[in-house]
Amino acid sequence: MERQRQLRGILLESLLIAAAGAGLAFAANALSPRGLKLARDYFPESPAAAVALQRQAIAGTNAPSPAQEATAAVKAEGFHAIGTAQVKGLVNDPGREEGLILILDARGPKEFEAGHVPGAHEFYYYAPENYLPTVLPLCQIARQIVVYCNGGQCEDSRFAAVFLRDSADVPAAKLYVYVGGMTAWRTNGLPVEVGDPDSGNAPGSN
Amino acid sequence: MRPVVDGLSILARWLVGGLFVCMGLSKALHPVEFLKLLRQYQLVNDPFLLNSIAATLPWFEVFCGLLLVAGIAVRGSALVILAMLVPFTVVVIERALAISAAQSLAFCAVRFDCGCGTGEVFICQKIFENTSLILLSAWLLAGYGRRLSLRFSLFGQDTLRRAPAATINEDA
Repeated sequence: MERQRQLRGILLESLLIAAAGAGLAFAANALSPRGLKLARDYFPESPAAAVALQRQAIAGTNAPSPAQEATAAVKAEGFHAIGTAQVKGLVNDPGREEGLILILDARGPKEFEAGHVPGAHEFYYYAPENYLPTVLPLCQIARQIVVYCNGGQCEDSRFAAVFLRDSADVPAAKLYVYVGGMTAWRTNGLPVEVGDPDSGNAPGSN
Repeated sequence: MRPVVDGLSILARWLVGGLFVCMGLSKALHPVEFLKLLRQYQLVNDPFLLNSIAATLPWFEVFCGLLLVAGIAVRGSALVILAMLVPFTVVVIERALAISAAQSLAFCAVRFDCGCGTGEVFICQKIFENTSLILLSAWLLAGYGRRLSLRFSLFGQDTLRRAPAATINEDA
């Protein structure tokens, strides 16, 4: 009798804790400035991209590299997949200063602050509302928009391109995803900039 | 002997609770990173469900951890924590097995960020940590850790144990 009462009490307690905890957790997320937007699809993947990734996995006898997977998914979304040499060319292109070429960094604010591709604008994919007022007018002028993240397993550049296409009406034909990303850029010993786009500041130059 | 057991039980309560608060906070403060890690488990495909789990689980852990540290509803909190720890451990082991097979690594050589709030760890170390936490939670669920508790039980389910024998006999 006593044991039954104890067990019932413990179960009741745990149910109450679960309910109160869930309620508080939803409230904390809603109040937190870093909270997630529950209704947003943070990982948009068209069926075509999913199929491309699957094909890529089946096609070779060896497992595809992250770069091969990323390239397949980028192309399946209708974007251009580009490499380091092409991005270097676009960074040095006079059209970039005229706004015809736009480079977007889809990584987090701390990573952007630590160093980015020269001339790149910050566009943290997981909080686009903070950047759209600046980035959207630039997107409308630009003819080529390059998006990058860290490269390797990073998918944020592709997701950012999908977001620009689906939510900001940027044509897919204008969107170029730098698959190698910041890792490839640094590996190739190319210059890195800190601070605002085209500030010309090198890391540690403050 | 009793004071030693009591002391160790309080330490167990603070250790489990404190760890849950720390691990929960480290995820709650970086929800996007936790969301990405959670997605890698491929447990749910629905974005709303995935976001909801990533958004609430860390705060839920903090809440349960605080209850244990403060000594409120200790056995209920221990049960909820056990109900989280056991499935977490199973899915982490499953993922480690998949990584081990994909990368042809020995099981204990698998090192990855399991989304547990402690960064990258070797899987065998993680299993040891989780097993310890499971055992300590089971210990608390058994009714230990009563001393220095603000309110050990919410519904007085433990008052009978201390009730006079006559009262219990009357019930029987």
